[in-house]
Amino acid sequence: MRKILQLALLVLGWLVILGGFLWAPLGKGFLGHSSRILFFHVPMAWASFIAFIAAGVWSVRYLIGRDEEHDRSAAVAVELGLLFGVLATVTGAMWARTMWGAFWNWDPRQVSIAFALLFYAAYLALRSSIPDEEARRRLTASYAVLGLAIAPFLFFIAPRMVPTSLHPEPVINAQGKPAMESRMLMVLIGGFVWATALFFWLHDLGRRCARVVARREAPPLPVE
Amino acid sequence: MSAHLRFTGLSRRFGRRWVLQRVGGEVATGGVLLVHGRNGSGKSTLLRCLAGLSGLDAGEIHYQENGSPLDPEARRRAIGYVAPDLTFYEPLTIEENLTFFARLRGLPGDTARSAVARIGLDPGAYFGVLSSGMRQRVRWAWALLARPRLLLLDEPFQNLDPPGEALARELLAEHLEGGLAVVASPISVELPRVTGVIELAG
Amino acid sequence: MSPASSNWLAEVGAVFAKEWRAELRTRYALNTFALFGLTTLFTASASLGTLSIPLAERAAVLPVILWLILLFALTAGLPRTFVHEEETHTATALRLAASPVALFVGKQAYNLVLTLALEALVAPLFLVLFDLEVQNVGVFLATLVAGAFGLATGSTLVAAMIAAAQGKSTLFAVLALPVLLPLLLFTVQLSRSALTGEAPGQALPALLLYDASVAVAALLLFPVVWNP
Repeated sequence: MRKILQLALLVLGWLVILGGFLWAPLGKGFLGHSSRILFFHVPMAWASFIAFIAAGVWSVRYLIGRDEEHDRSAAVAVELGLLFGVLATVTGAMWARTMWGAFWNWDPRQVSIAFALLFYAAYLALRSSIPDEEARRRLTASYAVLGLAIAPFLFFIAPRMVPTSLHPEPVINAQGKPAMESRMLMVLIGGFVWATALFFWLHDLGRRCARVVARREAPPLPVE
Repeated sequence: MSAHLRFTGLSRRFGRRWVLQRVGGEVATGGVLLVHGRNGSGKSTLLRCLAGLSGLDAGEIHYQENGSPLDPEARRRAIGYVAPDLTFYEPLTIEENLTFFARLRGLPGDTARSAVARIGLDPGAYFGVLSSGMRQRVRWAWALLARPRLLLLDEPFQNLDPPGEALARELLAEHLEGGLAVVASPISVELPRVTGVIELAG
Repeated sequence: MSPASSNWLAEVGAVFAKEWRAELRTRYALNTFALFGLTTLFTASASLGTLSIPLAERAAVLPVILWLILLFALTAGLPRTFVHEEETHTATALRLAASPVALFVGKQAYNLVLTLALEALVAPLFLVLFDLEVQNVGVFLATLVAGAFGLATGSTLVAAMIAAAQGKSTLFAVLALPVLLPLLLFTVQLSRSALTGEAPGQALPALLLYDASVAVAALLLFPVVWNP
């Protein structure tokens, strides 16, 4: 079963890449082929978003149940969220260079993602500097939950303070009607599914690795 | 007044080492539970776990006063604790320190003053300038401020001079009239009313 | 008032009074704030004041300087709230005696007063040294007070988080900055509109909402952060 899912993930990835470059038409109002980066940039941003949300949920669950597995899940999700977040930022900056003339424009969305990356990098810094394991789990989970409290300000309120965003309308807009050519839309939806599945697959791998490391670092209670 | 402490299977790991492995014990009002063991055998860790100052990797602690169980939060605030790492505010005097903790626990205003008088120290002396034996006397006064039922004593006679140790033994005897105690010590100490002994192998 | 809540208030008061008594004897935080705030303020004004920037541009550009000075002065002084308790081993007695929420509120109130004192020192000097005039005094004062509340609450919680960690002083800045960044965006924008006389718009409700969210999160999280 696992093998079939891994194969499906590989095939879907290639379909998105080939579809994005060869099959989907160019977006209207975009310079040259720059619209093609959309098929990778938007799913990466989405994956980093769900990774951070998942990290918050797993941290809350850790604080309630104190199950080490939830703590490991949260930490792996943060690492993956940072990875996808950096990829989304880099692809976004490449596109911004083409369309707006500069890699970095302090567009509200760029500000939000930069702050989010800072926050979760700080999470990892905290994680690596607490020697006691119980305190490490408890304090990093608390910090992640604090992140949930300030995330709305970073993502919804602060960007609205600066009304001059050049960023294209989000794909899923208020009307729920994606203004996009149907082949582009299909590739993009494929990209979403692929990035989401990729996140959960990598997360499963990362969590199992973390479990092995934890077992090596921490021998079980000796039997009498 | 009756109090009862029972713990089973307490285990705590630091890094790769299991400092406590399935430690259990029981003690009731009027009794002393003695914890023996060499340096590093986990005596202080056991007392910190019982006090709720350190988390557990396994095991359970049940403590009840007058038949009603206390949760970890309530237990933390219901105990008296004497340990070498216990320190008070150096820029404050002995009396200011004890008054602060008396106010935190909602005790009447003269509690701190009479506690200082009992340990025979100058209430106006700053904690920062006290000798180690005088600090140990302040720890005793602090631990007994709120008249707790459960007293956790980690090397309780450390650094005390003979009159100081006599005073501490007197305070312990008074406490045992209505309370219970867990005492940790690396050397064997003569104590009254010992109802149980735990030997930590480490 | 019930005995429980009056005792709770007495606990908050005891923590607040203890902090001030120790602070007034050592003057650690007040001296740090005064020296750090004045040094950075003079450095900024010495290098920017000679550029003779037009008034309209000064009012738009300089508020960020004020808030960065406040933020970094606080970073130098506030972590001590909990770090010092752990380092001098007074945290053990505090854990056993104080209820976590009362402890947090007492420490937060102490840090809030310290932050307001820092603002009372730095903000008037900032206006004088950069030759700025506040067009909307109400908005300016509201920003300082609401900003101080958010800074003190967030800093107190983060200080409690790093108390068990290694490399505390650098870690505090790393952890506190992302948490306090939204607040800085709001206060900078509000100070700008107070100096230029523009309508503050949504920034004031946003700042108050931020203060409320951080306060609620801190009250819920602190007991978990403080006790094992």
